[in-house]
Amino acid sequence: MAAWTCRHLLYRGARVLAGRTGAVAAADSCLFQSVRTVKTTTWWEEHLTEDNKSYMRKSLGEEYNRQIAAKLHPLKDEPWPRQEWTKGLVAVKLGMAPVWTKTGERHVVTMLQVQDCHVLNYLSKEEYDGHTAALMVGGKNASPFYKTDEEMEMFRLAGVPPKQKVTTFKVSDNAIIKPGTPLYAAHFRPGQYVDVTAKTIGKGFQGVMKRYGFKGQPASHGQTKTHRRPGASGPGGDPAKVFKGKKMPGMMGNVFDTAHGLKVWRVNTRYNVIYVHGSVPGHKNCLLKVRDTNLPTYVEKNINPPFPTFFCEEDEQLPEDLYDEDLFIHTQPSLTL
Amino acid sequence: TMACRTVCQLLQRRLASSAASVRLSAAEERGRRSAVFSREQARQRSLYPRTEKIEVTLQIPGLQGTLLVMNKGLSTPHSCARHLTEWYVTSSALALVDGKPWSLHQPLTQSCSLSLLAFKDTDPLLVNQAYWRSCAALLGQVLQDAFKEDFSVELLRLPEVLVTSGAFCCDVVLDPQLDAWNPSEESLRSLTRGAQQLIHRDLPWEPLEVAPPVALEVFSHSRCKQEEVEEKSAQSPKGTVILYRCGDHVLLSGGPLVARTGLCSQYEVTAIHRLGEGKWGLHRRAQGLSLPLQQQVRVEVPTGSTNEAISDTLTPPSAPEQTPPQQ
Repeated sequence: MAAWTCRHLLYRGARVLAGRTGAVAAADSCLFQSVRTVKTTTWWEEHLTEDNKSYMRKSLGEEYNRQIAAKLHPLKDEPWPRQEWTKGLVAVKLGMAPVWTKTGERHVVTMLQVQDCHVLNYLSKEEYDGHTAALMVGGKNASPFYKTDEEMEMFRLAGVPPKQKVTTFKVSDNAIIKPGTPLYAAHFRPGQYVDVTAKTIGKGFQGVMKRYGFKGQPASHGQTKTHRRPGASGPGGDPAKVFKGKKMPGMMGNVFDTAHGLKVWRVNTRYNVIYVHGSVPGHKNCLLKVRDTNLPTYVEKNINPPFPTFFCEEDEQLPEDLYDEDLFIHTQPSLTL
Repeated sequence: TMACRTVCQLLQRRLASSAASVRLSAAEERGRRSAVFSREQARQRSLYPRTEKIEVTLQIPGLQGTLLVMNKGLSTPHSCARHLTEWYVTSSALALVDGKPWSLHQPLTQSCSLSLLAFKDTDPLLVNQAYWRSCAALLGQVLQDAFKEDFSVELLRLPEVLVTSGAFCCDVVLDPQLDAWNPSEESLRSLTRGAQQLIHRDLPWEPLEVAPPVALEVFSHSRCKQEEVEEKSAQSPKGTVILYRCGDHVLLSGGPLVARTGLCSQYEVTAIHRLGEGKWGLHRRAQGLSLPLQQQVRVEVPTGSTNEAISDTLTPPSAPEQTPPQQ
């Protein structure tokens, strides 16, 4: 590129040189004028009028941007920009197993398998509740015959088969994912903490000892027909009533319950299984909602993970098993010399 | 200088594109082709001003020898099926008129024997071939509509692929600006979604037998389609070409297609491979997998979708120029 050199001349009076570079200000008040010294090459705005010059400046930038963007996304159905999002999945509870840490402590973990989990729908702040945006996620394919037309419409728009469980996750405004994206177990990595919500096993109508852990009464030593009863129901004469919310016998279980702050010990990418610490509500093969923790001690750790969000095609092949650093890998020798 | 050169190139492209902008946008082109098709269809229907009757003998197991009295030039095998039970209407994919494969929506012109073919017949070879061809035609339609208006999409001849090869394909040439573009998983999923929406609309594939000049008029803006029309008219015994219309998309096909898009299910676009530079530019082959509605398959796969597990690593079928036994 030829170097642009200009001689800046100081001018008094109204003489204006026929210079085209730089700002040619009004003749009277201008003291500085720029004179083109390199007369060998031309530049793009040499033969254009002022309007054409400003138009070309604007439109060139737009055209470049469009070309760069269009080269990546030529389809009408554009992919949505990838962003960090608080993770959430629908998984199936498989069962429990023991794990050992490198220091020899034994813990139990629950295995959660992610089967056919897809993002179904994105609801913006206004559509959902006015405060937060929401993402609807579905898991485990189900039969279309028992779904209503409205539900089938949503599945069809997302381009996924109908799902057994559809959950809503509250997400931040800019953390959106395109409906139809599949979600995998590798979204969670060992060392993260999750909350798992599921419907507890229904126990039916239960007495107060099983339901709330009341002590009951002794089995012998004179108790007449009173072994598992609640006993007293309140303070006595002063309130002269039974307070609302008194623990009494009733239906137990079959309600949604959340287990908070469960550590992810291991993730298997081949079978999409997450190994999560401790126990989780629900029976085997029940569908659960797995979400990043809300507990304050772990929320900071989860916000800045040492790895980016996992999307299938970007990542190179992940190893089949991802283990937490404290976990003892049972396939490796326990004693090394 | 550098800036000057790029600006000159852009200006040239601008001028070139403004010269070619006399070419219609994709949507207008589709509408124009569909209008020519409808005009020809109406003209052919007006060739039979007075309804004449023809006798159609059914050759369906269980209804052998049943005689139906239908209208000449107006009744199709589909309307014959409607005289029977709803099962025949929903399950028939192809018809055999006097032993020749016949589209279900093509009008009958003389007394003949008719048999309706479904996917669950003892010998489904013809039906399977027609189904594979229809899936490829659907893929072509999806590709034509999926790209933004700035990019031109040119559909080439649909290669005849055997059902046993594992996937149906559609050859396409994209805009030269997209030569460096490789489709990602996300784009394949968008294409699949487009195809599933077309399937949900359950559009019929309407056939129309036209003389070559009309076909050339339909494809007047596409040179490679015109060449295909000339080849097909040279090969056919009567010198005519059969056009098919689905929705507002008009296409050519190497043989009869099945009745409606609703017969396809579990449709997925699996890959788009490059075939290298060809006559019209960079040839690409889009592959897909699909199963008929009555023959769905449940495949238990640990990860990924069912169809991708089957045809994920499929290499493009090599030289599938075999033509089926009958056209």
